[in-house]
Amino acid sequence: MAVVAITAAFSLLVGLGFSFAGAWLVLPFAGLEVLAIAYAFYYIHCHAGDYESITIEGDSLTIEKHDYKHDSRTVFNRYWAGVLVRELPCGDHSLYLRSHGKEVEFGRHFMNDDQRLQLAEQLKKRVGVIT
Amino acid sequence: MSYASTAGHDEHHDHPTGILRWLTTTNHKDIGTMYLIFSLIMFMVGGLMILAVRVELFQPGMQLMQPDFYNQLIGVHALVMIFAALMPAATGFANWMLPLQLGAPDMALPRLNNWGFWLLPPAAILLTLPFTLALFGIGDGAIATGWTFYAPLSVQGGIGVDFAIFAVHILGISSVMGSINVIVTIFNMRAPGMTLMKMPMFAWGWLITAFLLIATIPVLAGAVTMLLTDRHFGTHFFNAAGGGDPILFQHLFWFFGHPEVYILLLPVWGFMPQILQTFARKPMYGYKAQVYSFWGIGILSVVVWAHHFFTVGMPVPALIYFMFSTMAISVPLAVLFFCWIATMWRGSMTFETPMLFAVGWIILFGIGGLTGLVLADVAADAQYHHTYFVVAHFHYTLFAGGIMGIMAGVYYWLPKMTGHMYNENLGKLHFWLTAISFNLTFIPQFFLGLAGMPRRIPDYALQFADFNAVSTVAALVLGLSQLLFIYNIVSCARGGKKATDRVWEGSDGLEWTLPSPPPYHSFTEQPVIK
Ligand code: HEM
Ligand SMILES: [Cu+2]
Repeated sequence: MAVVAITAAFSLLVGLGFSFAGAWLVLPFAGLEVLAIAYAFYYIHCHAGDYESITIEGDSLTIEKHDYKHDSRTVFNRYWAGVLVRELPCGDHSLYLRSHGKEVEFGRHFMNDDQRLQLAEQLKKRVGVIT
Repeated sequence: MSYASTAGHDEHHDHPTGILRWLTTTNHKDIGTMYLIFSLIMFMVGGLMILAVRVELFQPGMQLMQPDFYNQLIGVHALVMIFAALMPAATGFANWMLPLQLGAPDMALPRLNNWGFWLLPPAAILLTLPFTLALFGIGDGAIATGWTFYAPLSVQGGIGVDFAIFAVHILGISSVMGSINVIVTIFNMRAPGMTLMKMPMFAWGWLITAFLLIATIPVLAGAVTMLLTDRHFGTHFFNAAGGGDPILFQHLFWFFGHPEVYILLLPVWGFMPQILQTFARKPMYGYKAQVYSFWGIGILSVVVWAHHFFTVGMPVPALIYFMFSTMAISVPLAVLFFCWIATMWRGSMTFETPMLFAVGWIILFGIGGLTGLVLADVAADAQYHHTYFVVAHFHYTLFAGGIMGIMAGVYYWLPKMTGHMYNENLGKLHFWLTAISFNLTFIPQFFLGLAGMPRRIPDYALQFADFNAVSTVAALVLGLSQLLFIYNIVSCARGGKKATDRVWEGSDGLEWTLPSPPPYHSFTEQPVIK
């Protein structure tokens, strides 16, 4: 916060100073920039605690998601759940876990395509009918 | 069975390929690589422009080109080198190395990062397009005011000025995006336990750079926007006849322009002690002193701008203030030089290419700083202002201090980035050719400036002929030597001796704990699977 306040104060001071010298068009740019910085910090502040996790413990498979203020938690039976990889039109893949007609997407924001596929491979070894 | 599954496995491990991968990537290493390649290409473009200029200056009289085209070349050369070669190179390193050095999985705002890069090519095209348009009879070529856009010349100039204004806007947006990303990354993404005062020097350099960009880009953006409205919408910000003030433009420009020179160099000052300590095999000297010096220089750099136009006519107290504040910068700068030298003191040094560049850099950049001190003297500057002495000064700072510093960084990190060792002999040859031809190009320019040869003029008096001839020949050698650099980089990217993870015997820092090249995703933590 202090960082935002100091940079904002300085930018606005410079903008105002030049305005008094007649160059008021600096000010709107300084203002826009301060907004951008503040938004970036706010965004990070909101989403710094975001996570998604999969926990496999005994017979249960728990998927937890935390996105700003939204929490969700889904518990599947480990041996009945299925791992599903769908190819998207752009060539990337999305990863779903499903059971009993319920589907939960995983790793859409926090992993890239490669990581999702890797995780799918790992999950397939531990979830569903294990031979 | 096992065969089938491995095959399937491999297939799935391909990263998105083709143009789409590069257009959409949010991976900090991909983006870093794109910045570095872009920078290298623009370095060549800007270099070719100025070689044409140097050839024109080989002899007195006009041989190759019209004066107006000459003016366009020098202006676009500077804009390209500063905004499209040097800054992107530093940003490329930031993208590649900051997350690795801070122990972060990626930059904090990866999509913003992608945008920051992809704004650059359009800006570069805007800068250079007017040259091409002129060939088809549209407009009268690129911006011909020099890189400083001084009003009223820029108010009167052709469409090249408009193109340059838009290019500057786009570059500014890109820089601000990059800076926000760096600041947010440094404040939020450090590995646990890495306090600010334990950060690698490079992160400090970039942090101050980012703050300086944030502080000054709005001023530049405002300045060129007012230029635009003066040109097309009847305002008179810089028009004395309409109650405006052309000197105001110089204040605005240099309020940005002087911090800009530190923006260009602080990242280099950041990684240079890391290179020195690696090849001196002892810890860097005076970490805290260096951090405080960075702050000192960063803060001083926004209050000294008017030393670029001492001769324009300022009240004497203003002259004295700007003279002493400018000279004050050499105090923290001297602290840095002391620390760099003390880092090498009694170390067990070896001189691989990065170290050669680093040591050469200290000496040559030192000449740049000392000649700056000469220019900071108001009385002396009355004679040297707008002569080749200034040109030589800022090439010692920007080419030696900036570009050669970046080259040290390239050789230092190239094995980490590509996984292969570059050709050491070729690297050394590149260093010696560059260092010698650089000096032979610019030392004569000091003398030319002392003797009174003005800058930005395509013709000159007969008495300056010999030094100019030497400078031109050396510049051609300097330009050609860079082909070795490109060849070395390309062949290193293609193959070569495998690099180890640590690459250098004395390397120290988180980036050297990862494999060479680091895996596509730097973070090894997988989601928790118990
Ligand atoms: C102690 C350090 C320095 C001092 C005292 C200093 C001083 C000056 C002064 C007084 C001028 C104006 C000369 C004139 O136009 O008459 C100047 C020009 C310039 N300096 Fe420095 N300088 C220093 C370091 C640097 C550094 C580190 C850089 C670059 C990274 C740099 C880049 C430039 C450039 C680009 C110009 C010329 C701009 C133009 O007119 O096109 N200087 N310097
Ligand atoms: Cu300056």
